[in-house]
Amino acid sequence: MTRVRVTAPHASPGNPGRGGPGPLESREAAQDSEVGQVFVRSLIRSQLRLALVVAGGFLLILAAFPLILVAVPGLADTRIAGIPFDWLLLGLGIYPVIGLSAWLYVRSAARNEARYRDLAGEQ
Amino acid sequence: MNPGVAITAVTVVSLATAIIGFYGLRISRTTGDFYVASRTVRPWWNASAIGGEYLSAASFLGVAGLILLSGTDALWFPVGYTAGYLMLLLFVAAPLRRSGAYTIPDFTEARLASRTVRRVTSLVVVMVGWLYIVPQLHGAALTIRISTGLPSWAGSVAVVVVVCLTVAAGGMRSITFVQAFQYWLKLTALAVPILFIVFVLAGNGTQPLGAADVNPAGTAPAGLYQNISLLVALLFGTLGLPHVLVRFYTNPDGHTARRTTLIVLGLLSVFYLFPTAYGLVARMFAPDLARSGQPDAMVLRLPGEFIGGTAGSLLSALVVAGAFAAFLSTTSGLVVSLAGVISQDVLDGSVRGFRWAAVVSAVVPLGFALMTDSLALAGSVGLVFAFTASTVCPVLLLGIWWRGLTDAGAIAGMVTGGVLCGGAMTAGSLALAGSGQTPAWLAQPAAWSVPLAFAVMVLVSRATAHRVPATMPRTMTRLHTPERPLATER
Repeated sequence: MTRVRVTAPHASPGNPGRGGPGPLESREAAQDSEVGQVFVRSLIRSQLRLALVVAGGFLLILAAFPLILVAVPGLADTRIAGIPFDWLLLGLGIYPVIGLSAWLYVRSAARNEARYRDLAGEQ
Repeated sequence: MNPGVAITAVTVVSLATAIIGFYGLRISRTTGDFYVASRTVRPWWNASAIGGEYLSAASFLGVAGLILLSGTDALWFPVGYTAGYLMLLLFVAAPLRRSGAYTIPDFTEARLASRTVRRVTSLVVVMVGWLYIVPQLHGAALTIRISTGLPSWAGSVAVVVVVCLTVAAGGMRSITFVQAFQYWLKLTALAVPILFIVFVLAGNGTQPLGAADVNPAGTAPAGLYQNISLLVALLFGTLGLPHVLVRFYTNPDGHTARRTTLIVLGLLSVFYLFPTAYGLVARMFAPDLARSGQPDAMVLRLPGEFIGGTAGSLLSALVVAGAFAAFLSTTSGLVVSLAGVISQDVLDGSVRGFRWAAVVSAVVPLGFALMTDSLALAGSVGLVFAFTASTVCPVLLLGIWWRGLTDAGAIAGMVTGGVLCGGAMTAGSLALAGSGQTPAWLAQPAAWSVPLAFAVMVLVSRATAHRVPATMPRTMTRLHTPERPLATER
């Protein structure tokens, strides 16, 4: 592994031409065409939609947890191995939901990117 | 608690931190090494390091203490701290890595092509960092006083000295290893004692003294508004924390940044089971600890309550070691990210400048910590989350996902959020000093300050739409398109 000096992208935003195009610049230049921008916009839209759907779904489940406890009388007093059910639900049961949402998101986001690569003709 | 054993535990943790830090010195050579470990840290290492850095005094001591006081209401804290990472994964992780920026000010400057935005963001980031370091130092002061009987200031000063030494010596490369080590230390330090305690309680057939759903100190239950506002702060505050964001630049590419976050979520979920267990056990078997006036010290005291003799002292020492690891890791993470910001914006961006900036970033909050008294740790950290959610979060989310954001909108939104949330925090503590009570809307401002900051940012951007930078399409492309497998900048 070779070690390369990395510096902050200080001057790049104001004057993009400075220093000549590096590998990153050429990646973006290839996508500057109108068709390229259409693909980029559609990628951003699908990633945002995916993120919003996962976040919304998770928040709905999160809101449902305390509602279940209110809606089903006696559930909060149920004990499993001496531990009250509401503690199990909020202290334990919510974490698998978070993990599952995250896993689904990572898979679908990678799929969106693969689709974009196919469209944009990258490898 | 045996002071000798506790002092040994603190010394061992500090030495281990320093040794791993100095070992890292041999492999950091360039400015790039110092700031972001050259972006080649593997996902498992990086995830452990993120976990190590994120789990602060609030998570290690504060959450369990709050659960002891207010039961299931306080369970929203660990849930929110973890779910905040889910939001970070969904909206920020990969684009931020792809932006190629080192710090949040780097990002806002690159996105909005404005030096002024950069300066305002830097100011906000430094304020967030300092606000966040203070409770860590309060936690250290409390831990040292409870476990060794030494004066409080000794704890805060010890943390600052160790952090300055390691950060100035090794920068981020060594910090990555230090943090990863500290995650596993913190997990062990909470898990082993509570397993012993549960084992002893079950073996003796001890009967509970209190019920799980009765608040032992008579704390009033939180209203719906407070719980919702807290969740808004924790969910949206995490993605604006400077020390969390700087970690994402150590991933080789956007996809790895997502995978790292996924592992972090697993690590956090496992960790938070233990503060919850401490809180529940204390409520049922040692409710007296809630009435001692220092619920934050419960985790430190619990092993000694049930396990006597040498075993009890050793387990207590393990908890003290874990707590100290929590203060050290979060403080050093914050100091690294603040030093990055200060050295690039105020000093010349050199390694020497970074070292000086690190000292400044640690010493200023030390002054605050020595002048103020500790409130509930989880509560004061919760307020910092509300502040980031009202300032950094809107500019990141809109910058990444909305083409219409302008520099004027970003500044107006950050200032609005900062003034509203900071004002609520000040007014809240004044109200507390005056009447002994803080109204809920001041105690938890996030539910109204975050939407207002977003609204101002969007409206001002709309009104100044001609200021959208010409570089915007190119920046958006960079943020969202996958890196080519072979042509990254490595």
